[in-house]
Amino acid sequence: MKRMRLIAMILLVLIAALGALAPAIAPYSYDAQFRDAPDAPPGPRFRMGTDEIGRDRFSRLIYATRISMLLAPAAALASIVLALAICALLKYGLSALTTICLSLPWIFLFIIMRAELPLSTGPVVSVALTFGLMGVAGWAWPARVFTASIGDMKQSGWLMQARAAGISPLRIARVYAWPHLRSVALAQFRVLVPAYILSEASLGLLGLGVPDPLPSWGNLLRDLQHPDIVRSNPWVLAPLGLLMLVMLCLELLQSQREVSL
Amino acid sequence: MVVLIGGLAAAALVRFSPGFDVDENTWNPQFSAATLEAMHNTHERENSLPRFYYRYLRAALHGDLGQSDSLKQPVADLLRDRAPVTARLLGWGTLGGLLLGALFAWIAVWPRRAGLEILAVSSGGLMLAIPPAVLALAFFFEEAPLSLAVALAVFPRVFGTIRAILEDLFTSPALLAARARGVGPVSLALRYVVAPALPQWLALAGVALVLGFGFIIPIEALCDVPGIGQLAWKAALSRDLPLLCGLALIITFAVACVQTFGEIIGAKQ
Repeated sequence: MKRMRLIAMILLVLIAALGALAPAIAPYSYDAQFRDAPDAPPGPRFRMGTDEIGRDRFSRLIYATRISMLLAPAAALASIVLALAICALLKYGLSALTTICLSLPWIFLFIIMRAELPLSTGPVVSVALTFGLMGVAGWAWPARVFTASIGDMKQSGWLMQARAAGISPLRIARVYAWPHLRSVALAQFRVLVPAYILSEASLGLLGLGVPDPLPSWGNLLRDLQHPDIVRSNPWVLAPLGLLMLVMLCLELLQSQREVSL
Repeated sequence: MVVLIGGLAAAALVRFSPGFDVDENTWNPQFSAATLEAMHNTHERENSLPRFYYRYLRAALHGDLGQSDSLKQPVADLLRDRAPVTARLLGWGTLGGLLLGALFAWIAVWPRRAGLEILAVSSGGLMLAIPPAVLALAFFFEEAPLSLAVALAVFPRVFGTIRAILEDLFTSPALLAARARGVGPVSLALRYVVAPALPQWLALAGVALVLGFGFIIPIEALCDVPGIGQLAWKAALSRDLPLLCGLALIITFAVACVQTFGEIIGAKQ
């Protein structure tokens, strides 16, 4: 099992490096169009073939890896920071607020927020907004866990002792409370990253995720809606394979954390 | 309270959405600038958020959730037509997911064999790695029942909790004593597994329903199922905010009912 986890870690690092080095590895830009070769089969010129408007699938997959692998953790971080900030700032009504946010299915909350965006939003801004909205819409899960942890902490003897010793609230938060919350925040981060990767995939399939011409695993999966394309070029399944591989690696690492905790 | 606040948030989205303040009379050359300003002021006053929400809520209590901008039909009628389709898909899917979760959790816990445990855990992990929408597309093209896709999406998400509940129950002294007395497996399951954890099972069913609804939106949208999920997707694509607002109110109400039911059962226990 230990070896499996090591392999999972190495695979994740390799996939992340593949995304980070996309401009050096990808033979073409993600939006370079070869109008002489639409729907080209895999070959020496295009390793995974081209899409219906003549863009290299392999290059787009590598750039998509960069976007999905970079922005899902960023959205998870945004959720954690937002949840911590709200927990710190809001003294009353936090429980009701999290209940309201958790009462709506996450994807529904997201599509409501997505519908509010102006139509003229550019692709890069749209990507940032998509993942930013994910981060904002997903704050309630970690907030609920943080609230429980803070509640436990408030009952603890060490906190009462620190208060009685006249230590300032800021110092208590920084020196005493944060080390406790940090492990909870890290655990939440590890839960949110795969959740956001999957959510982006679902939103991309629906056309509500990262917009063209920018590639993401989600919008590359849209080809799966055409079984004839899948049959003629099985490389169309490559984004799904990569996504599943990353998810399995993350799950393996997650289970390692659960065992060690 | 949750429904009221959820409804207020939805109404605020509609009220402050881009284009809400735009009046087609602005481009009518027959109106003078002063008239247009007076009309604009009246529109602003009449549509302040509290007034707008009060009107919306009063109408909603009478079954009027407004008119869909894109489909040009009353929102209540659209919901009434589509709710049974979603309820069937969600009901069977969630039930299937819970049964699959229970079966695999039982396989992981009861026989106490490492091979079977690894098989159950790996199956859950594998299903968790597949986006539910992709799963649904595969079922759609193979003409398999879509509720099974919902079940396969729900199953890995409830598997861990069911496994934890079963592990607690299977190590309980009462069950061990009953096994030692030679109580039959059906009686064991009913008396020592289902009955003691009934509130937990019901609460989990509520959570699974909410989870399932999250999967319903992409599944219905991609597989052309005329349910509430597809309606929500269409409303988002066409920016039909009155429809989204109505959907938010109804969905919040349904989810709050499910959660309250779970909490009441838990409190009684």
